[in-house]
Amino acid sequence: MKQEEKNFEQNQFTLTMIPGGFARKMRTCVLFQAFRFLVINIKMLIVVSKSH
Amino acid sequence: MARLIIMGGGVSGHTAATFAKKWLGNDHEVVVVTPNSQWNWIPSNIWVGVGQMSKEDVVFPLAPVYGKAGIDFRQAKAVSIHPHGNTSSDKEYITIEYTDQEKAGQTDTIEYDYLINATGPKLNFDATPGLGNGKGHLGEHTVSVCTADHAVHANVELKQVFEKAKKGERQKILVGTGHGMCTCQGAAFEYIFNIEHEANKAGVRDMIDIKWISNESFMGDFGMGGLHMKVGGYVVSSKLFAESLFAERDVSWIIGAHVNKVEAGKASYELLDGTMGEEAFDFAMLIPPFAGVGLKAYDKEGSDITDTIFAPNGFMKVDAKYDAGAYENWKASDWPRTYQNPTFNNMFACGIAFAPPHLISKPASSVNGTPINPTPPRTGMPAGIIGKAVAHSVCDMIKNGAKNAHLHEASMAEMGAACVASAGKGLTTGTAAAMTVYPVVPDFEKYPGTGRDTDYTFGEIGLAGHWIKHILHHMFIYKAKLKPGWTLIPE
Repeated sequence: MKQEEKNFEQNQFTLTMIPGGFARKMRTCVLFQAFRFLVINIKMLIVVSKSH
Repeated sequence: MARLIIMGGGVSGHTAATFAKKWLGNDHEVVVVTPNSQWNWIPSNIWVGVGQMSKEDVVFPLAPVYGKAGIDFRQAKAVSIHPHGNTSSDKEYITIEYTDQEKAGQTDTIEYDYLINATGPKLNFDATPGLGNGKGHLGEHTVSVCTADHAVHANVELKQVFEKAKKGERQKILVGTGHGMCTCQGAAFEYIFNIEHEANKAGVRDMIDIKWISNESFMGDFGMGGLHMKVGGYVVSSKLFAESLFAERDVSWIIGAHVNKVEAGKASYELLDGTMGEEAFDFAMLIPPFAGVGLKAYDKEGSDITDTIFAPNGFMKVDAKYDAGAYENWKASDWPRTYQNPTFNNMFACGIAFAPPHLISKPASSVNGTPINPTPPRTGMPAGIIGKAVAHSVCDMIKNGAKNAHLHEASMAEMGAACVASAGKGLTTGTAAAMTVYPVVPDFEKYPGTGRDTDYTFGEIGLAGHWIKHILHHMFIYKAKLKPGWTLIPE
């Protein structure tokens, strides 16, 4: 049984979304995360600049 | 020479004091009154609470920093404000009680020209029977991560739970809010996922049931009425985002809960639908509600005028619209812009010390009439920005005169906040949730629909968030120590 299927078995979790294997893999893929790091930082800097 | 007193040396007070001293130079005096000898980067207390950092990693002594900056540092708690002076002098002053070892218990008075209240919150553990010890401090049944010392204690208790689990004893962990009127769900949210991550690392996750308990009426409210964020190309409710995180990690939840009693190994609660329940635990971290620190104010004759300056919850009144009425009438413009006290124009409040006009989340109470709703969060970024704006206003008033000065504005309805909720600390393991919200207080006139700019309100889960959290930790401690280039680091 896949990880997400195991969790969906529980009543409280049936109406939400649970990431599958690919989504979980990308969360710890260093190359992809390095790119996201840049994107998130740029977005955060924009939010900071809009807030001052 | 004018004297500015800042009561409180946390994120907001420290920001206000250091910028005020930089802008005023030696022509004027800046005094900081704070009961703590150390500055604490509170967001990293979470990592102390799971043993990934030591207390020394998240604190540093204030005296050398203030000594270098030329700030008069008094390790003391502010007791009362006398904005009209007393019968023998018209000069405004505050009374303080020293907390350092040498002068502990001694009282003193300090005259001021300008006063900034940045005292932060009182951790009101005693609001819930059993959560506190009856003397205003954390009780014996639960732990906290609100201070570095609390977090050290939490880690010791957590490790004992892990040891029992390793020996085959099934353990129950409960994390969340310890009262119906709590804020700071984000800290508990981050802590529960760090616990889950550490339990996995320790190989005991299968032996531990982890449960969330919160006063939010829906998952992902966070005291901000929830938010809609861009995730993977969709604009989704934070409810779905939060529920997904919990479901993925097999963490169940109880929401809409007012914890009304804590005993050894058991929390009793009331839900929005009026039902009562109990939850057993072997380890519980329940955030206390916040209140003002209990400052009093007196007029010239010594009559109590606390109600003039402070709201009933103990936070200082500022330029907010406190008579907005029902939820349907609330507007972004209700929120303060300059944080100037409406009665005394040489008095300001910043950070958690100012009284919000009302909740951000939709008010809710149980069918029994018990209020169960999160109070507004005022996290590090807004606290720092407000502290700097207030310092700027005071400096302008000192330099240009109160009548000619430009008051700087920093409305929470026009500023964003960045939040990184880690789950683990590793550079290649764990997955943090990095979120920004803009603005913190929704503005449904400017952004009909969600109340926020969905281009700048987003959330993402991954390692990148961990890296950002590490950078924020080192960057803000560097800044707070006033090391070279500190002013270039934004709040």
